[in-house]
Amino acid sequence: MTRSKPTLGAGLRRLVLFAGAWLVIAGTDPTSWIIGVPAVIAATWASLHLSRRAGGSPRLLAALAFVPFFLWQSLKGAFDVAWRVMRPRMHIAPGIHTYPLRLTNASARVVLLDTLSLLPGTLSADLRGDVLTVHALDAADGALLDADIARLERRIGALFGERRASVTIESEPKRADVPTGQDTDAAQA
Amino acid sequence: MTPLSWLATAFILAGLFFFVAGTVGLMRLPDRLSRLHALTKADNVGLGLLVLGLLLEGPGLLSGIKLVLIWLFVLVASATGAHLIAKRALRGDGEDAR
Repeated sequence: MTRSKPTLGAGLRRLVLFAGAWLVIAGTDPTSWIIGVPAVIAATWASLHLSRRAGGSPRLLAALAFVPFFLWQSLKGAFDVAWRVMRPRMHIAPGIHTYPLRLTNASARVVLLDTLSLLPGTLSADLRGDVLTVHALDAADGALLDADIARLERRIGALFGERRASVTIESEPKRADVPTGQDTDAAQA
Repeated sequence: MTPLSWLATAFILAGLFFFVAGTVGLMRLPDRLSRLHALTKADNVGLGLLVLGLLLEGPGLLSGIKLVLIWLFVLVASATGAHLIAKRALRGDGEDAR
């Protein structure tokens, strides 16, 4: 991974951000800055030296469009899981599913992994190379899972301005299914 | 009670429903990976509705931002934590006795 040199602008931006965070945490009492100023400086220093993302940040307009999608999908995810577990007989067929990831942007991959876990039915379990391992509450229909993940991948690709993901989806519909019986945890329980 | 605080109460109760659902899922689901589904999804929406309800009670600007920040941090932390637990469970190289 490449590591961009911290610039003065980036440092100032973070300084303002962390100062704002301190204001939110500690309130408006001026004496709180006795601890706040060193803490904000330390946080800025640590953040500049620890962050090594190569992918950059999402585009602002795309990010704004992503928010309602994310909220609606996580609400659906919560209703889905609540409905599955609150019924007298649970409606689940848990299993493992693998998906060949096309996103290459490092930041986009982190967003995809975290978002996927909050959407209906899927949990990102592992990522080795380009192979994403997903745990699904209902893994019976692999093609449906592939379509769900591909749609999210496309959205997050757009969020980071990555076009490749949207082009390759129609041209190469490859997928690898693993039968649900392979979930050893479920078999043991 | 004003209509606004009735609405706030409704949101908070809806949030509680999802916390209960997440807990029921934690107890009923058969394996480690499935339980993570209940915790990440139901509890995050539960906390989101709770925060929304509390925002309607008019906590002021700073406390309002603090509530929203708490929700965002919990979202990131629980999704990341769930991923790490799932990865360890799948690879089987953690500290679990098998």
